[in-house]
Amino acid sequence: MTDNPQPTPSAIRLIFEYDGDDVRLILQQPVDVAVTGFDAHPEVRAGRYAEVRDADDTPLTRVPVRTSDLHSAEVFPETPGEPITRVQVERPTGAFTVVVPAPAAARSIALIDVAAPDPEDTGSRDAAPPGDGGDGRQLDGFRVTDITSFAIEGRGDTK
Amino acid sequence: MTTADGTVIGTTQIRGSAPRNRAFNVVLLGDGFRAAEQASFDTACTALANAFLGTPPFNELAPAINIFRVNVSSTDSGADDPAAAGGTGATVRTYFDSTFGGNGIRRLLLCNAATALTVAAAQVPEFTTVLLIVNSTIYGGSGGSIGTYSLAASATEIGIHEMGHTAFGLADEYPYYAGGDETGQDHHPGPEPGAPNVTINRNRASLKWRWAVNAATAIPTMTNPDCSTVDSRPSPVADGTVGAFEGAHYYHCGAFRPEFACKMRDLGVPFCRICRQVIWNRIGPLAALTARAKTPLTVIDRYPEHLDVFAVASDGRTMSNWWDQSSGWAGWFQLMGGIASPGGAGSPVTAVARYSGHLDLFTVGTDNRVYSAWWSSSGGWSNWFQLGTLVARAGATVNVLARYADHLDVFTTAADGRIMSIWWDVRTGWSGWFQVSGGVAAAGATVTAIARYPFHLDLFTIGTDNRVWSCWWDDRSGWSRWFQVGAQLARPDATVTVVARHPDHLDLFTTAPDGKIMSTWWSARTGWGSWFQVSGGVASAGSPVTAVARYSNHLDLFTVGTDNRIYSTWWHDTTGWAGWFNISGGVAKPGSQVAAVSRVTEHLDVFVIGSDSVVYSTWWNASTGWAGWFQLGIT
Repeated sequence: MTDNPQPTPSAIRLIFEYDGDDVRLILQQPVDVAVTGFDAHPEVRAGRYAEVRDADDTPLTRVPVRTSDLHSAEVFPETPGEPITRVQVERPTGAFTVVVPAPAAARSIALIDVAAPDPEDTGSRDAAPPGDGGDGRQLDGFRVTDITSFAIEGRGDTK
Repeated sequence: MTTADGTVIGTTQIRGSAPRNRAFNVVLLGDGFRAAEQASFDTACTALANAFLGTPPFNELAPAINIFRVNVSSTDSGADDPAAAGGTGATVRTYFDSTFGGNGIRRLLLCNAATALTVAAAQVPEFTTVLLIVNSTIYGGSGGSIGTYSLAASATEIGIHEMGHTAFGLADEYPYYAGGDETGQDHHPGPEPGAPNVTINRNRASLKWRWAVNAATAIPTMTNPDCSTVDSRPSPVADGTVGAFEGAHYYHCGAFRPEFACKMRDLGVPFCRICRQVIWNRIGPLAALTARAKTPLTVIDRYPEHLDVFAVASDGRTMSNWWDQSSGWAGWFQLMGGIASPGGAGSPVTAVARYSGHLDLFTVGTDNRVYSAWWSSSGGWSNWFQLGTLVARAGATVNVLARYADHLDVFTTAADGRIMSIWWDVRTGWSGWFQVSGGVAAAGATVTAIARYPFHLDLFTIGTDNRVWSCWWDDRSGWSRWFQVGAQLARPDATVTVVARHPDHLDLFTTAPDGKIMSTWWSARTGWGSWFQVSGGVASAGSPVTAVARYSNHLDLFTVGTDNRIYSTWWHDTTGWAGWFNISGGVAKPGSQVAAVSRVTEHLDVFVIGSDSVVYSTWWNASTGWAGWFQLGIT
């Protein structure tokens, strides 16, 4: 992204495969796709995101990964009016995709989980103190956990 | 049962003509269709396209939607149907390895999602979402990153529901996990779900979808009296009422949905108002905005790396787009369902940033009442709310300024031309409307205001005699009487643009009845100057003059000329006024306005409604000069 508000279409499609808790990048593909503010919004909400970072690992933008609930599957009724139900999946396997903006400063991408503050923890005697907590960073009170990260192909080394 | 069990034949675009890089691209894949059965897949794709584009709001968003059919032949027909899940025991060789009986449930239809996504990316790199249609009449489907469904009747509903998850981030609104007879689903445990259509919050003021809730609707709208089971009572309110209905997100109690019925709760019913708006906000920004031609644009720089632009669509929808240095342009989205008054040039959306994390918006609605809304970085958008009972002039502009961060002064014209004001203060809230010193504006004239100091206001308008009038307010002396600023005649619908290069100086710009661009000034030391024409400039009928002071000794002006080209000039204290010049060959709608902002001193961002009614922008900076115009949509 330049300092000027001109359109600079540049994005990357990522396809991940997962098996249980293991998540693996299987495709990184430059693509001319507009990523709307609907996706690349600055507000922090709970969920899984692909976070684009610069050479200093500073986050540039986040795009939500919409996988629904990997640990359950939706089962649809054959008869109209019957309820949709969900069933637990013992070992989730599958794949998902996300398209992220790739501004000029982007060097790496991380898959992150953003967890909302647990209301049970708020103000409790056992609540962790604000801050990194040792295994993740905080973002407006939300806990951020890195799942995996990788360099953007053709963008040089990250620090 | 791998990709060796078939071949990708090719891709056909079956719906839409939007540019692929600015579209919602749906890819339909087929599995278990042999080469000779491709016509059956084609028919299924047509049925899905018809059902999808017939479903609100996709029917209204069709210009931004493309649908692609990727024909893939499989060695065998159908899908695996394991006997252990009650199936026939069939095992077949198909490209995407589809199988019924996932998790031991026959109608749970799964596929190799990695293969499906990879094929979609190869065939349509710009794809947004993928659905896989399986060649079987056994009822089945599933969600996840790939929606699957079979050829059984009504299965297209599965695909559309699943798209709600994968493309729009919508949550399930049904209030049970396993059909309602389960235990452990009595109370939602929290925390607040990230999805936009479910919440554990029952507070009206902070409800996610508060912008759509009528003030007369109770919150919560419906509560479950027995949390051990699903509430099976009918809705207590009319269909389509947005409120907070208990029972959602797999729990009988403690979680709320926006409407009683929604496709994210039951197949076969429409999406609720909130889900429809979410879908709009996902797809709508991909399209260029066709704007109301003469309605002014508003641009705000809350901080130097961010712009917020406000416009009114040709159908009156109140729209916004934002740019951030880190992510580019977000795309146009509708502001809380608002529709602006179409009278005259059309009411614009005006805005002010009292501080960097807050916006206050104003417009006149189709009922000619004045409405406001706000956005804050912590709470998002409020609903539009009515400011008092004033009936404004149809299409009036509501001008606002913040003399300091906890105070707003708002000005507009009543239906009979009276110049009206209302104010808000953090300590006292909104005042009532009052007429400013008995002033009456010419038909179509706006009221402009400037605060040279936090305790002082200067107002300008065109009076019923078509002369320029002014008055001021000072917190020590209150409102002055209106006085005429020289004898200059103006167009009755003209705007008086005012800028203060420093606190003891004002520069005024307006248009004469013949379109001449006229200016005068006021200085604390010398009083009012004489009116003069700025560098021989003449504006298109109805086009105002926009002025920006980048320094205390420099002004930049913008307008649309009589040839509808977009012009600029500047004034510098050492060189005086420059000649008018056309900006980058730009041509605007006749009578339209040029919006401009300087987020840093050596930089200008300029916005116009082009001759094709689409919003365009360009910029200038000292090192590179003027850039070319680009359509303002999404980066």
